[in-house]
Amino acid sequence: MHEFINDPIDVLVSFSQNRIIPKQFNWNQKTYQIKTVNLVHTAREGTKKIFFFSVSDLTNYFKLRLDTEFLEWQLVELYTDG
Amino acid sequence: MSRIIMHVDMNSYFASVEQQANPFLRGRPIGVTGKAQVAETGKASRGIVVAASIEAKQQGIKTAMSTWEAKHLCPSLLFVQGDPEKYAEITHRFNVLFHEFTDFVEMFSVDESFLDVTEEAKDFFGAIIMAQMIKQRLKEECGERITCSIGIGVNKLMAKLASDHMKPDGLVVVKPSEECAFLDQCVLSDVCGIGYHRKEQLQNLGIFTFKRLREYPLDRLIQEFKSVGYWLHEAAYGRGDNQVIPYESEPKSIGHSYTLSKDTTDKEVMKHTLLGLADKVAWRLRRDGYQAKLVRVYIRFGDFSGFGKEKRFEQPLTDGLALFKNAWPLIKHLTHNPVRLLGISVGALMKGPEQPSLFKKERKVSSVLCALDHLQTRYGSNSWTRASLLGVHFQARSSGFHFDQE
Repeated sequence: MHEFINDPIDVLVSFSQNRIIPKQFNWNQKTYQIKTVNLVHTAREGTKKIFFFSVSDLTNYFKLRLDTEFLEWQLVELYTDG
Repeated sequence: MSRIIMHVDMNSYFASVEQQANPFLRGRPIGVTGKAQVAETGKASRGIVVAASIEAKQQGIKTAMSTWEAKHLCPSLLFVQGDPEKYAEITHRFNVLFHEFTDFVEMFSVDESFLDVTEEAKDFFGAIIMAQMIKQRLKEECGERITCSIGIGVNKLMAKLASDHMKPDGLVVVKPSEECAFLDQCVLSDVCGIGYHRKEQLQNLGIFTFKRLREYPLDRLIQEFKSVGYWLHEAAYGRGDNQVIPYESEPKSIGHSYTLSKDTTDKEVMKHTLLGLADKVAWRLRRDGYQAKLVRVYIRFGDFSGFGKEKRFEQPLTDGLALFKNAWPLIKHLTHNPVRLLGISVGALMKGPEQPSLFKKERKVSSVLCALDHLQTRYGSNSWTRASLLGVHFQARSSGFHFDQE
């Protein structure tokens, strides 16, 4: 099932070799451990740069959005298999 | 010395990017659509399949098939809403990667590029090694699901034909002097430039194979097809353009079209849609430093018949409202039939700054547009809209060379 969420979230990340890697996030009073970062892409909203992280755990796919101007994270999309 | 041209064609591009992003879509038949409601509900509607995954293609799903037909053909097909920003970035990423191998990279479409590797590869063996390196680098940079087919030949025609020959993840080489033998394994419509109608015209002349096309007298081909006749004759021998142009040519026109969510005879809906499209076109004109002296408008009806008309004007324009005011009268008498799609484009483009008007009112409009452009550059496309367009929302398109919705 695919849902558009667009909720603000708290994310734990690591910085390594000029890359930012999301490790886990809290949403709906639950902590999700990120197993793989499948794709990272960027977009522009005017001059603002936005990062999108397509990540997954064992059962879900998540699309996370990082606003680099305000350092805000959002859970944009959720896909649950089955 | 003959040139060594490589054609790199991404396999099921948009669908592969979606499968790369979401591992739960891998191995499943998916269709990328442009319409959110199709993806959200999973139900077929009036949209089309912009791209089908390899698994969907195996079940007969084709690009540009209606979502209704696709779902009928493959009930397990999963619709995924297209994400043009994502595809634009991946396209940019692999074209940057190609520049690691040669300076001569020509972007042929959003998922295809030509590379001239004559100097770098030295010979066809070197080109094969290079192609394998490109495939490996592509996996590292874009992900394991994003694969490409590569064709190598002495010109663009043969390179493209070769890449189309083995999909997915193919590597096909047509060496010099092997062109005719390779063409003889192909059907006429395999060659880029021989579409359905041209193939029919050829078949009406009794030409069903490239061998027969080679035998057909050149003067009769030219008589039948005009300048294309010579191109067909050359193509039959595997000869064609071998110039890879590493820069984009100036646009001849700029346009937008939009399929409405349902067919309508409501003039207000049509006017608002056309004005919104005109504003998008005008923004791109101003952003890229052009002015237009011609506007074309296109209307497609529910029965898929269409009508187009154009108008030239003396004073070049860059304002969406002015473009709309020139375009709307060209179609307003046709709006009694249900309309499916509206399109507007501008041509006769001139580069350079707009000449200030003598009239105060027009100068005011220009300064307002300038301020709005600053706003849009800083904050993006949703930073302003006309009050009359508050209810109008366009979905980003999933095709084209660039993501141009900003």
